[in-house]
Amino acid sequence: MLKLVNINKYYNAGTVNEMCLFQDFNLSVEEGQFVSVVGSNGSGKTSMLNIICGSIPVDSGAIYIGNENITHMPEFRRQRRIGRVYQNPAMGTCPHMTILENMALADNKGKPFNLRRGTNKKRVDYYRENLKALGLGLEDKLHVKVGVLSGGQRQAMALLMSTMTPIEFLILDEHTAALDPKTAEIIMELTGKVVKEKKLTTIMVTHNLRYAVEYGDRLLMMHQGQAVIDQAGEKKAAIRIEDLLERFNAISIECGN
Amino acid sequence: MTLLLGVLEEGLIYAVMALGVYITYKILDFPDLSVDSTFPLGAALTASALLAGVNPALTLFFSFAAGALAGCATGLIHVKLKVRDLLSGIIVMTGLYSLNLRIAGGRANVPVFTQDTIFENPFLADHVPGGLAPYAAVLILLLITAVCKVLLDLYLNTRSGYLLRAVGDNESLVTSLAKDKGTVKIVGLAIANGFSSLAGSVYCQHKGFFEISVGTGTIVIGLASVIIGIQLLCPENGVSFLTRLGLPHVRPTTAVIVGSIVYKACISLAISMGMEANDLKLITSLLFLVILVVSTERRKKVKPHA
Amino acid sequence: MKKSVKTLFLAAAAISLLTTGCSGSPAPDTQAPADGKTYTIGIGQFAAHGSLDNCREGFLLGLAEEGIVEGENLTVLYENSQADGGIASQIITNFASQKVDLICGIATPMAQTAYGVGRKQNIPVIYTAVTDPVAAELANADGTPVGEITGTSDKLPVTEQLQMIRTILPDAKTIGIMYTTSEVNSLSTVQEYKDAAGDYGFEIVDVGISTTADVPLAADSLLEKVDCVTNLTDNTVVASLPVILDKAAKKNIPVFGSEIEQVKIGCLAAMGLDYIDLGKQTGRMAAAVLKGEKKASEMNFEVIQEASFCGNTKVAENLGITIPDDLMASVKELFTEIEQ
Repeated sequence: MLKLVNINKYYNAGTVNEMCLFQDFNLSVEEGQFVSVVGSNGSGKTSMLNIICGSIPVDSGAIYIGNENITHMPEFRRQRRIGRVYQNPAMGTCPHMTILENMALADNKGKPFNLRRGTNKKRVDYYRENLKALGLGLEDKLHVKVGVLSGGQRQAMALLMSTMTPIEFLILDEHTAALDPKTAEIIMELTGKVVKEKKLTTIMVTHNLRYAVEYGDRLLMMHQGQAVIDQAGEKKAAIRIEDLLERFNAISIECGN
Repeated sequence: MTLLLGVLEEGLIYAVMALGVYITYKILDFPDLSVDSTFPLGAALTASALLAGVNPALTLFFSFAAGALAGCATGLIHVKLKVRDLLSGIIVMTGLYSLNLRIAGGRANVPVFTQDTIFENPFLADHVPGGLAPYAAVLILLLITAVCKVLLDLYLNTRSGYLLRAVGDNESLVTSLAKDKGTVKIVGLAIANGFSSLAGSVYCQHKGFFEISVGTGTIVIGLASVIIGIQLLCPENGVSFLTRLGLPHVRPTTAVIVGSIVYKACISLAISMGMEANDLKLITSLLFLVILVVSTERRKKVKPHA
Repeated sequence: MKKSVKTLFLAAAAISLLTTGCSGSPAPDTQAPADGKTYTIGIGQFAAHGSLDNCREGFLLGLAEEGIVEGENLTVLYENSQADGGIASQIITNFASQKVDLICGIATPMAQTAYGVGRKQNIPVIYTAVTDPVAAELANADGTPVGEITGTSDKLPVTEQLQMIRTILPDAKTIGIMYTTSEVNSLSTVQEYKDAAGDYGFEIVDVGISTTADVPLAADSLLEKVDCVTNLTDNTVVASLPVILDKAAKKNIPVFGSEIEQVKIGCLAAMGLDYIDLGKQTGRMAAAVLKGEKKASEMNFEVIQEASFCGNTKVAENLGITIPDDLMASVKELFTEIEQ
């Protein structure tokens, strides 16, 4: 279980530009839950992910995984248990390394990066299988540098790589936003499949309301650092895109837009 | 022939240092100026060690270790104290200048003409046949450079080496792999400066003296070698003239060594063509600029895929 | 087929590129003199520097005195390494490949580089402007050469300089010296000054700098403490001499030089080196080696035979000092204005 307790986060604290992002923000995500998060720009969606992953520090409050307080754990240590896919497909792979080398890197997560051979020859078939499951023909391009692949191919690899080793949480940060609609669809389907297969606790930030409605068993709508909608189970299943749009408009009027 | 040997010798000495610059500049994407001081560090340490009667071959290892330590210092300053990359290198470069003088016993010039070196020692005198003697230095340098190159190639294909390549390529992936990118950078800088210092040691033994000014411009030679070599023999995602000629693809490390020799050949050519001595530095910087511009243009061409 | 032709072409181009430098020494285009011998020498100078330039000029004059004249029976290859050790070594290798008859190395690092290469190629080396050939391992402690290498040292005549300062400034107690801590020659000269100063009733106040940027502050601090300043041949300090002269002039403190060029730009006087003379002396040694009269290994290194006095009356007038007549009697060169 992942828990955020009384999180406070200000940007530019102590200056005229001070901006309150979170004030006593609380969230707890049950094990195995797939949470979709929507919200306007600046509502705190991505900041929430960054706080969970440790990319940005909090001003006060605590973050727990189970009973362990990870508030002050450095980002890279938290990643032991977390897989993260970013909006930018370039963030999840190494462009100057080959597909095979990238797979080997990901496969070694959690193990020591010592002086043993970088690519374990015995694992090559396993990588090929995994790539084949993506259905993008990458299994025949093992020695091609990832930099020449398309955004969609790279994002598929990034997803594969981040979920290759045993992890507890999958963090998806608008991971389909930079892709064309067709590719986005493929990646999203893939995501659903992986999450289901590996039973991962997942938090997905998206601007695509349809994905938010179709995928996941809990839905959050963020606004000014608060969850204005938080529905799970049956109630989540009943939410339609129109409901979300309506709420969006209401918020916009409140803000005077 | 003398000139050709001379160019080879010079090129091979600096090639080891260029391998280090290849790590920082190409792999880590870290503009590391500390090589300007780790090169003389190796030379100073070697001069002092030789005078103290240390085995010449051993000085190579000591120099590598000392350079690696200095590289760690650059890395720690950058990673732990959060000083910008360029500035961390400058800090170490400046500090090492004084330290190098101390290591050399407070002297800016330490001759070791009378000491045994890896190029001149009783063993070589006894075992190298007279006809081979003029080539002995080149062969020894070739051996040292080849060993460094092969070791680096091997290392880059280990898990640790993969991580090193990843950190220059995409820092956030290294974090995603639950590894501290800072540590990886420190390791890379250590190896790079180890090579630079090792080259300094070889330089000192080859020339027969240490001089505090030997480090000036090391980084320029290193960068030029890397860029010339890579552009010539294995341009990124491009086709080199080697492949056009149907020759096999070479590794970047080989390209860097060739680059170093080509660079030294250019300088030698400029000198023997009677280039006005005062203009030599300008020529170097122009050559450098041209290569850089050409290489960035190529990079632009492949970037749309990125 | 096409491919292999291209390969051949490229290979040929590469080889011709690499070998143009090797293709023998340029033939001297003048008619040979009486004895029919012509010579080619390589002069490698470590840095661009007034005194070193004078050395080179003197060197050629010295050779000419012995009948070896550039353009007649002598071809001179000249290169300057701009204080870059790597370049220095390539310059010397280049000389060696052109099979020069002799290499002249000007300043310590160039001399060492020349020796490092020359001893493998059996090319004799003559050096000049090496302050301490023994410390540089170019000569043994007794002054004999370590190989086919000899030349001249530009060691300063320290006692003569102290004597001169005493004569001009009978009441002065302290002499200031600024030097670069990384210049090995300066270190040994400062020590020599300290050892000898007592004999002339002086005390030496020294200040070390590491770069040109340190000069103004170091000068301010030094000028607070001393009655006069004497200058060495320290490269960094000499390059910034105008700064020191300017500050000293404002405080009315005399600055003594170590060679003629320094007096020309505003030092009061110098009992020091004339690098042209030093070069001439070196040139004569080189001539002996070229003509086969003596081998380099048979000649000990030499120091300047006689310190020469030069003064600047304009500076003396500004300071309100008169240079005593007995010094004026031996003056080698007198300047009546300050060259900017």
